[in-house]
Amino acid sequence: MLDIFSYSFMIRAFIAGCLIAVTVPLLGNFLVARRYSLISDSLAHVSLAGVGAGLLFGLTPLYLAIPVTVGGALLLEWLRQRQRLSGEISLAILMSGGLALAIVFANLAQGSNVDFTSYLFGSITTTTSTDVFVLSIATSFVTATVLANYRAFVHIAFDEDSARIAGYNVSFLNYLLAALTALVVVLSLRIVGGLLISALLVIPVVAASQFTKSFRGTVFASLLIGLLSVIGGLFVAFYAGIAAGGAIVLSALTILVGCMIWKKTA
Amino acid sequence: MSSGKISPTSALPSHAGKPLLDIDAVTVTLGGEDAIQSISLCVHAGEFIGLIGPNGAGKTTLIRTLLGLTTPTAGTVKRTSTSVIGYVPQRGNLYNAQIPISVLEVVQLGAYGNRAVALKALEAVAMQDFAHKPFTELSGGQQQRVAIAKALASDPDILLLDEPTTGIDEQAQRVFYELLRSLQQEGLTIIIVSHDIDTVLNLVTRVICLNRTLLYDGPPENFEANKYMPQTYQEQHRILHHHHGEHHA
Repeated sequence: MLDIFSYSFMIRAFIAGCLIAVTVPLLGNFLVARRYSLISDSLAHVSLAGVGAGLLFGLTPLYLAIPVTVGGALLLEWLRQRQRLSGEISLAILMSGGLALAIVFANLAQGSNVDFTSYLFGSITTTTSTDVFVLSIATSFVTATVLANYRAFVHIAFDEDSARIAGYNVSFLNYLLAALTALVVVLSLRIVGGLLISALLVIPVVAASQFTKSFRGTVFASLLIGLLSVIGGLFVAFYAGIAAGGAIVLSALTILVGCMIWKKTA
Repeated sequence: MSSGKISPTSALPSHAGKPLLDIDAVTVTLGGEDAIQSISLCVHAGEFIGLIGPNGAGKTTLIRTLLGLTTPTAGTVKRTSTSVIGYVPQRGNLYNAQIPISVLEVVQLGAYGNRAVALKALEAVAMQDFAHKPFTELSGGQQQRVAIAKALASDPDILLLDEPTTGIDEQAQRVFYELLRSLQQEGLTIIIVSHDIDTVLNLVTRVICLNRTLLYDGPPENFEANKYMPQTYQEQHRILHHHHGEHHA
């Protein structure tokens, strides 16, 4: 057996990483298709505010980050649907507001023994058995919800008007997609970190779309690329002794560049 | 019919079928201005309606109201409970996302995912050989036929097309109009919005001319484009004459 698997923390890291690697690009397909992928970046910054508040009040940071981020996602969607602010501006405001709150909370919480930067850049090797358990339930829930609404989400992603005419409750489904994205963003904090989440959401999807001819094909290929990136990244991180979050994103980028070169020469 | 009741369609011309859509005094106000004003009309089964009017006349607003995408400020839109509208939107950046979507997947959107229904709809527009191609790799004319297949896949009573031939070459337009004609002959009710007045007049059984209010509603033979849409009509004819002049030169 490879010595990487003789450490139980690395086995937990692989399980957690693979769960995220499948769930994040799954959602990413719908967000990229509707040109809304930056939502993950904004929500990641909001989630950091939740983490900061958790540190400040002595609560488990991730458990407080979930309601805060889901709330932020619903607020974003509400702003977008009411068109009081354009999507782009809402994203920018929420992103900076979230990070500002995070910094203030983290300052106030100084003296707490939790390292805030582990939420910025990920700290997959500190994943506990409880984390893996919570992650497997949450990712199963997200995946099941997406699959149950797959047809409606595809319809909305490509043609929102036509989805309305077909009788789908588009407004509700948009809130649902935003909330699911928020949940996935929080769950990914420990794996790739708040600043790198959007990479895992976008890069596998864009890499897959270089060689696929259908949406379904892109979904499958993006999940495979997500898995390859996480597994490859964890191997490199372990043997080169570098940060796992960075290694995972760089693996994904390498695959993207490979796919783009392949497309150019094909 | 043995009950002796008078059929609601008895007062209508003999070619008109049962009413599918009833629009009664509909006004839509957008940004403080009336986009359409007190429009009343009834769409009957089997009609081929050309909806024309200058830019900004409220054609798209009327269509969105018929589809239920825009709520009227005043008036009512009544649909018979079973009537389904298949919608072919203006060609734009539809299905043109970063992620590819195959022709079959586009049509499946209209068929609630049903693959067999989608394939049949593709056959109806002679596009079955393109089922597994990415939508964006098709020509403009082919894309419009796929958009029709998607609308047909929902088994509509009414097909509603918004400027369907914009940006499509003449040859493809002819094929496209032939397809519409044969669909209507099979019993489909069609409403087409178009800038191309002459083509519409040759194609449809009823013309509705709109410029915020209803200007004309009747057979194409009696429609005087010069009277209702002087600017648009003259422009199109100037272009036409210009082209003829070049040919003669």
